[in-house]
Amino acid sequence: MRLRRFVFLLALFCLGALLGLFGPWVWWLDREAGQRFSERQWTQASRVYARPLEIYPGRSMDRQRLTREFKSIGLREGDPGMIGRYRSTAAQVEANIPGFVFAEGRQASQRIVVGFGQNQKQIDRVASGDGRSISLVRLPPAELGSLLPLDDRDRTLVALRDFPPLLIAGIQAVEDRQFAHHLGVDPRGLLRAAWTNLRRGAVVQGGSTITQQLVKNLFLTPERSLLRKFNEAVMAVSLERRFGKAAILEAYLNEVYLGQAGNRAIHGFGRAAEHYFGLPVQALNTEQTALLIGMVRGASWYHPRRNPERARDRRDRVIDIFYETGLIDEAERQRARSIELDLGEPRRTASRRHDGFLDLVARQLRLDYRDRDLRGTGLRIFTTLDPVAQEDAERALTESLTATERSDGELQGAIVLVEPASGEIRALVGDRSPGRFGFNRALDARRPIGSVIKPFIYLLALAQPDRWNLVSTLIDAPLSVPVDGQQAWRPENIDGVSHGEVALMDALGRSFNQATVALGLEVGLPALFRLLEQLGIHEPGEPHPSALLGAVEMTPLQVAQLYQPLAAEGYSTPLRAINQVLDREGREIARYDRRLRPVREREALALLDFALRHAVTDGTGRSLSWRLATDPGVRGKTGTSNDRRDAWFVGYTDDWLGVVWAGRDDNAPAGVSGSATALPVWAELFNRLPLSTVRRNWPEGIEWYWIDWPAPLLASEQCPDALAVPFISGSQPESLSPCLGEANESPRRWFRRR
Amino acid sequence: MGIGFFLAADFMTVRLILLILTIFALAGCAVQSPAPVDERIAAEQVRAPAAAETRGLQVFALRNPAVTELSEAAAQAETNGDLDRAAMLLERALRIEPRDPELLQQMAELRLDQGRWEQAESHARRSFDVGPRVGELCQRNWRTVAVALERQSRPEEARTASERLRTCQVEPPPRL
Repeated sequence: MRLRRFVFLLALFCLGALLGLFGPWVWWLDREAGQRFSERQWTQASRVYARPLEIYPGRSMDRQRLTREFKSIGLREGDPGMIGRYRSTAAQVEANIPGFVFAEGRQASQRIVVGFGQNQKQIDRVASGDGRSISLVRLPPAELGSLLPLDDRDRTLVALRDFPPLLIAGIQAVEDRQFAHHLGVDPRGLLRAAWTNLRRGAVVQGGSTITQQLVKNLFLTPERSLLRKFNEAVMAVSLERRFGKAAILEAYLNEVYLGQAGNRAIHGFGRAAEHYFGLPVQALNTEQTALLIGMVRGASWYHPRRNPERARDRRDRVIDIFYETGLIDEAERQRARSIELDLGEPRRTASRRHDGFLDLVARQLRLDYRDRDLRGTGLRIFTTLDPVAQEDAERALTESLTATERSDGELQGAIVLVEPASGEIRALVGDRSPGRFGFNRALDARRPIGSVIKPFIYLLALAQPDRWNLVSTLIDAPLSVPVDGQQAWRPENIDGVSHGEVALMDALGRSFNQATVALGLEVGLPALFRLLEQLGIHEPGEPHPSALLGAVEMTPLQVAQLYQPLAAEGYSTPLRAINQVLDREGREIARYDRRLRPVREREALALLDFALRHAVTDGTGRSLSWRLATDPGVRGKTGTSNDRRDAWFVGYTDDWLGVVWAGRDDNAPAGVSGSATALPVWAELFNRLPLSTVRRNWPEGIEWYWIDWPAPLLASEQCPDALAVPFISGSQPESLSPCLGEANESPRRWFRRR
Repeated sequence: MGIGFFLAADFMTVRLILLILTIFALAGCAVQSPAPVDERIAAEQVRAPAAAETRGLQVFALRNPAVTELSEAAAQAETNGDLDRAAMLLERALRIEPRDPELLQQMAELRLDQGRWEQAESHARRSFDVGPRVGELCQRNWRTVAVALERQSRPEEARTASERLRTCQVEPPPRL
């Protein structure tokens, strides 16, 4: 009797203890689940995009360039009936372009047909899939890389309404058929799973509901224990009670673990679609959807790259489930099962090549943002890079250096490629080996620029039209320049010869040192440094007269900035790598827009432009005439530093301004020169770029006259060896050439351009 | 890349930071404090008088349909008061055709309405440089320059720009 009473009391005590302990525990779990779910913040990588390519009739671009652009944005060859595929035939290129969310809003996926003109160098027709002409199509931009989120989880957030219906129905069919009906846990499902597993002798179904899996992923450690299972169940019920099915499913689809990419975990179907197929999740077809859903069960066990056979079996099993639950018909099942695993290029490895440019983007961003704000916040950064031109620049540097260097791998180099009118940086190469990334020479190698500085001395001279014009006679002769507290400086010409009387434009074009120093001393070193400063180069260094021959250190990027106003006909603009930054909601938080500033010496700049053309046709850049397949009217200047340590070439057309540096990392004499080392790299690059003929609108105050020599005199078209030369009005020579007397002809202006 | 990105900071010397700062000093301060936006400046002080006074030679260039589409969309956005969108569309168009004088002038007038006087002036000057230098466009070029200079409190230069208006009426010099 006493015993029964004791047992009863014990039982009562246990019940009380149970209620007393578990009651608060459950209450705590419930509160915790609700709070943590509603307060959770998805971290999302900040992504960096290239410039989107605009396709329109009249664009100079050949078929190969277009398909290279397609590849860079993740398209692959195949049936253009499917999103993300293109097909190139003799007559045209047909593509199915995935959708993209631009700042202005979502652009839907679309089918386009692109035709090329007679010479195959120009797009002459753009049409939609049904044959209507389109005047303009903007492709989605290539993804260059991303700034890591703080927790190393890589994710592309997708709203529930943006997931394709097959994925939403399919995940429920495979993982949790009762999802729409249960309260967070599903005892029947648990039993059915246990029964199925028993029957098949293997774990083919898990008993966890989608809600439970979400709880496990979000809140709990992966260890398997009864207590954890209990916590999971309580929290699952709690989530169901507090939040709707839609919120839970959306969170699940964005949270579920779907594999590893290097040191980053891929979470959610949005990122997985991009990672495995190079497509937005909306563009997935049946077999791709099935593959990803299959991976939920075990992302590394069923990893399509590491375990392709296992992944294929699992995918086909999921396709069968789609069929059994009526999501697809028999024909689609047959079709989908017959397709091989078909994976896109892994994005992450491809992006390493853009590290040099991303370095520049990050430096610019770091001026405006803290690291923390950049990393976890899902910014979308739209840059100016042209991925195809970038590839061209990388190849040109590697191949050309290999061809010209004395011993293998001796030389290093850098390229900066800019669109002059906008100042947008289209390509940036900081190492001859594209995959390697450490020292970014395009941004960080400060080297003497040699004769690359000379045009700015001549610009100062030409800005004084009462003293100098393009045909003024300069003296190229030995000279001695006194230097405070040091030995006098005696500059030499590169060929060791002094050339006597030379025309100003020849002294620049043929890069004579002694004539240039003489002219530089007249315009003055302080004026030169002021000009450099005005053009955006601060602290150019010591004002030693050797600066007149380029003993001034600059990075390739700075040299590009220096030449930008020349290439843009006298309108300077800061070089930029970023166009726009959007936050995760798509709001613009920064725009770096087009800004112009007219340079004061626009007329002198026009004369200099003429002289730099002269340097290419009759000066140190002559070899371009055979190195370039077609010369659209390139202007350019070579540069070589003392003891042949550094080689430079700067050249531009209307479309591109390219700066090339080559030399040794240890700054030792490298046997290089501007025309023999840097110019070939430049030519190699420009041979790959689409070029249009250079057009010039000469400023108002410019007039053209025929000039003949030996002394520069006014002549006419009929005079032998006469040359048409531009002058700032009133600065032209006044005396007539003897040639005119013989021909009994009055001198006249050759022509005058408005 | 990822981590390597941020480690790059360690490599940078103070000097380099200064250098980059200077390079991007202009680019970085994208947000200049804009003058009050008055969307009618361009319409009332540039377009209407230019249209009224233009006589003689007119130049109409053949345009790429892509540029036309963007330029029309920009004009529409401007009418709707969405000047930011208009600017973005015009930038796209200028990337396609950086030497289109009409486009450059359209941008100049947009900057005028946004109160960005300096950019209004620069774009109008660039438009003149590559444009016909006569006729209605020339008028709009110099009117824009004049208004922009006036607003920047540079009355002398504004007067000179206004005088340039007269040269727009002259027939262009014959080309030989």
